[in-house]
Amino acid sequence: MANIRAVQKALDALGIGKLEARPWRRSVVLEGRVRTWQDYIRAGYAAAGKGFKGVVNDIEVEGLEREREYIPPVRDNTLEGKQFDVIVIGGGVIGCAIARELTRWQLRVAVLEKEDDVAKQTSSRNNGMIHPGIAPARGTKKLHYNILGNRMYTQAARELGFALERCGSLILLEKSWYRLLAPLAKQQALQKGVDGVILLSRREVFRREPYATPAQRGGVLLPSAGVVAPYDVTVAFAENAVENGAQVFLHTMVQGFAMEHDRIARVLTNRGRIRAKVVVNAAGVWADKVAGWANDRFFTIHGRKGTIAILDKKTRAYQSGVLAMPRLGSKAHTKGGGINPTVEGNLLMGPNAVEVPWREDWSTGPEDMEFLLSRHLPLNTRLRPGDIITYFAGVRACTFEEDFVVEPSEYVANLVHAAGIQSPGLAAAPAIARDVAEMAVKLLSGVMEVRPNPRFNPVRRPNPRLTDLSLEERALLIRSNPAYGRIVCRCEAVSEGEIVAAVKSPVPALSVDAVKRRVRAGMGRCQGGFCTPAVLDILARETGVPPTRVVKGRPGSELVLAPTKEPGEGSADA
Amino acid sequence: MRKDWDVIVIGAGPAGLAAAAAACDAGAGVCLVERESRPGGILKQCIHDGFGLVRYGEKLTGPEYAWRDIEAVRRRNIPIWTETFLLELQRAGDGFVLTMQNREQAVFQLTARALVAATGCRERTARQIFIHGQRPAGIYTAGTVQHMINIQGYLPGRRCVILGSGDIGLIMARRLVLEGARVEGVYEIKPEPSGLTRNLVQCLQDYNIPLHLSTTVTRVLGRERVEGVVVCPADENLRPLPDRGRIVPCDTLVLSVGLIPENDILEPLGVELNPRTGGPVVDQRLAANVPGLFSCGNALHVNDLVDYVSESGEIAGRAAAAYALGRTQPPNHAELVPEGDILYAVPGRLDLAAGGKAVVYLRANRTIGNARLTISAGDKTVLRKRYPVLRPPEMERIVLDLADLPAGAGAVKLSLRGEENG
Ligand SMILES: Cc1cc2nc3c(=O)[nH]c(=O)nc-3n(C[C@H](O)[C@@H](O)[C@H](O)COP(=O)(O)OP(=O)(O)OC[C@H]3O[C@@H](n4cnc5c(N)ncnc54)[C@H](O)[C@@H]3O)c2cc1C
Ligand SMILES: Cc1cc2nc3c(=O)[nH]c(=O)nc-3n(C[C@H](O)[C@H](O)[C@H](O)COP(=O)(O)OP(=O)(O)OC[C@H]3O[C@@H](n4cnc5c(N)ncnc54)[C@H](O)[C@@H]3O)c2cc1C
Repeated sequence: MANIRAVQKALDALGIGKLEARPWRRSVVLEGRVRTWQDYIRAGYAAAGKGFKGVVNDIEVEGLEREREYIPPVRDNTLEGKQFDVIVIGGGVIGCAIARELTRWQLRVAVLEKEDDVAKQTSSRNNGMIHPGIAPARGTKKLHYNILGNRMYTQAARELGFALERCGSLILLEKSWYRLLAPLAKQQALQKGVDGVILLSRREVFRREPYATPAQRGGVLLPSAGVVAPYDVTVAFAENAVENGAQVFLHTMVQGFAMEHDRIARVLTNRGRIRAKVVVNAAGVWADKVAGWANDRFFTIHGRKGTIAILDKKTRAYQSGVLAMPRLGSKAHTKGGGINPTVEGNLLMGPNAVEVPWREDWSTGPEDMEFLLSRHLPLNTRLRPGDIITYFAGVRACTFEEDFVVEPSEYVANLVHAAGIQSPGLAAAPAIARDVAEMAVKLLSGVMEVRPNPRFNPVRRPNPRLTDLSLEERALLIRSNPAYGRIVCRCEAVSEGEIVAAVKSPVPALSVDAVKRRVRAGMGRCQGGFCTPAVLDILARETGVPPTRVVKGRPGSELVLAPTKEPGEGSADA
Repeated sequence: MRKDWDVIVIGAGPAGLAAAAAACDAGAGVCLVERESRPGGILKQCIHDGFGLVRYGEKLTGPEYAWRDIEAVRRRNIPIWTETFLLELQRAGDGFVLTMQNREQAVFQLTARALVAATGCRERTARQIFIHGQRPAGIYTAGTVQHMINIQGYLPGRRCVILGSGDIGLIMARRLVLEGARVEGVYEIKPEPSGLTRNLVQCLQDYNIPLHLSTTVTRVLGRERVEGVVVCPADENLRPLPDRGRIVPCDTLVLSVGLIPENDILEPLGVELNPRTGGPVVDQRLAANVPGLFSCGNALHVNDLVDYVSESGEIAGRAAAAYALGRTQPPNHAELVPEGDILYAVPGRLDLAAGGKAVVYLRANRTIGNARLTISAGDKTVLRKRYPVLRPPEMERIVLDLADLPAGAGAVKLSLRGEENG
């Protein structure tokens, strides 16, 4: 039962100033002022779990600078007056997977993404793990969608042509008495629906992972755990959606809704006002803001940043699957992380978890790296700090309930939320997408006839990748198109042909970073030192813009600023 | 087994070109494989002068220097497979199989008795030295900037900060100024510059570019394009002191923070690498532990003068030819053990069976004065040398006659001792 007094008591007990809780619909709204972001977070959690549907944390933090949210610099009317059956807000893995599910029906579907590419925010800033589903608590949506999503990945990978490696996850036990708990853990996992749980002794762990930390006292192996390249998955969903008739609009930001009674009548964007019969909110870290425009903000997103380090490919030989060693009793959200392989043959280390007031701040700091080096690196005794080739951060979109929000709005007739999709959101994506698409179709059925799409083709033919081909296949491809014969990125052995194909694909790669996400040029040891200049020239040539207009990512990230004093001269040929 | 070639040289930079010419002169059938579209290696983009003083007694630009080697290779009709990428390198019987690809031949294989790896080096990146912040456009290594300006004709930035006082960084500081960019300063974490004195004078002092020692960049500011960097003084242990950081506005960060020899392609062969140099452990013939494999140039260890790169190429090329033509004895190795103030020495072992003269390259691990170098075997000192000053950026070259070593020498000691703050 919702208990507003219990919330107020919990807030008062924190002793961090005068805070007020008031019920709103089935949720609770918090108001007042606190001194630090940590206090804001504590208040939010204090209010959660007291029987309300959600916590709307409107507490102000003194002196906190407002985030400069990214707004695309484009302003035009290209979408003014356009009509769609479904608009999906957000081109992350969730939005793109939903769009693809929707194309199973005869619908006009549009994905609106404010960034310059799909998979720009959290969906490319994660570990790429398809979690086995052991972590989420029973009764949560997280658990439900994680278990289902994990199973669905096998078919999705086959149909969409992205790599999936079921390398298994091994949870190491740190103290011997944990082994007493292990059978219990196994029973729990089976009850949760995890596909396969195997208990390993210390010796068995070493047999599987010879370089595992000597601190381990045995482990729990979860063979259903896998890894994918999260940007590949997102691009694959998006491209298959486009192949089946959906449209993806980049640089397109939703900035409000025009409401008519309990319906969203128009979606307001920087490129015009669009009509839609149903709107899907898959806006990641901004999903609460989007809900607010429809006066349906019954949850709050707060960012939890995680930093991940990428290790050189030569380390892949030192580990067979995922390794983690949770510390029981440590603070709730810092437990996770570990070392996991990638489908491209690297190892990843991390993430950590830090509550941050800025949702689009992907900067890393020395404290993050120190944490990874002290906590995660020792899990594998062969790894050295010098094996790190790069690192990055992502921000999880957390609610105070710590669960996914996947449901049609209770108050807005044509809005479906896919919000609060933090980890294991990638693993859960196919399952969430199926349900959300069904919810959208149900809403549509009230206003139109929805027919299956007879031309829906679930199979996407991905562009060829040289590194996946046998020598014979490689030779054939080069003979059919010699551009595949010229290697541009030497660390990852990526050819000019692959880059050109990425520029011409259904969701075209139009920046150096987009090329990198599609074909891995610049992701290797030298981090683009050698290939960036070449990629720049290919992009300029293929897209017909001058080199000074080629960008790294967003508009404003031009790589070179002007021609040199004597253009063309100064060449070493002279 | 018949082989396509006696010797295949991988990499047509100055080291590889010299190796190929030397192997040819020694009577071997030799060819070159190069992944770029033209031979010349990194020299293609080094349009400044100062190359060739040792080898030719002349001041040449990089392309001029490379051109002489390219001509030497052409005159000998040594084929060069350009824009050709090595896919696989394997040992097969008494030789090597190289699987490669290029536009014309698609995928093809060549076999050789001996292999010279002259693959050069790559640059250390911002992430490898732990610079934090977002990832805006405008962070480049000095070599990338050099390529953009000198080969492509693009100016990457207008207001630049240079991190690291390596030679390429110093040269690019000057180059950027000549192209009309502003260079806010060169920042070096160590208390001493790591570039050659001549470059400090000619590239920084002559252009009034400030050099900040014991200072580093810890953070990049900006979201789309670099807007500034945070620079911090560093203590004696090279740890930044974050409380004393300040912001330097700029649109470009140029990194000159070290070179890493590129030997990744050799790993499948089981080559032994020296962790100090990043290159293979070799003897005076520049033979690695894998029979028939030779290494030279910047892939062996990072050189500061191209003249020595060429010299090592010649040594490796000659030795590879001798090996391929069956003119070598089974080796009899003695370790060459560095001691005292030596950062590293190449070669790491001496082949007493091959004999002859050994060219030894070494660097001091700090600036020292009144330095004494001795080479000894057992209790016999075979070489003594004195240096008024030695600095890590400046490589020393000495020649050791193996005939001077006592018979049956075990380990040979190479010892350097000097005084602080020479
Ligand atoms: C950016 C930079 C600037 C420099 N500037 C100076 C300077 O101003 N003055 C100076 O004296 N020294 C300079 N040096 C130092 C160096 O001594 C160069 O002078 C010299 O070019 C090194 O010669 P190299 O042949 O060993 O390597 P490189 O010149 O680098 O040549 C190696 C060649 O091997 C090729 N290669 C590598 N791997 C493969 C493969 N797997 N398959 C096929 N081909 C391959 C490369 O494409 C390249 O052409 C510089 C070095 C760098 C990296
Ligand atoms: C460090 C870290 C590690 C993780 N590891 C894993 C893992 O191993 N396995 C796993 O399953 N999950 C993992 N996750 C979670 C997973 O990454 C996310 O659950 C998933 O990517 C969420 O996808 P999304 O589409 O909801 O969000 P996003 O990818 O953020 O997509 C939302 C999109 O909406 C766009 N948008 C926002 N507002 C607007 C607007 N107004 N108009 C137009 N567009 C808008 C944004 O630009 C963004 O592209 C991890 C997360 C982090 C941070």
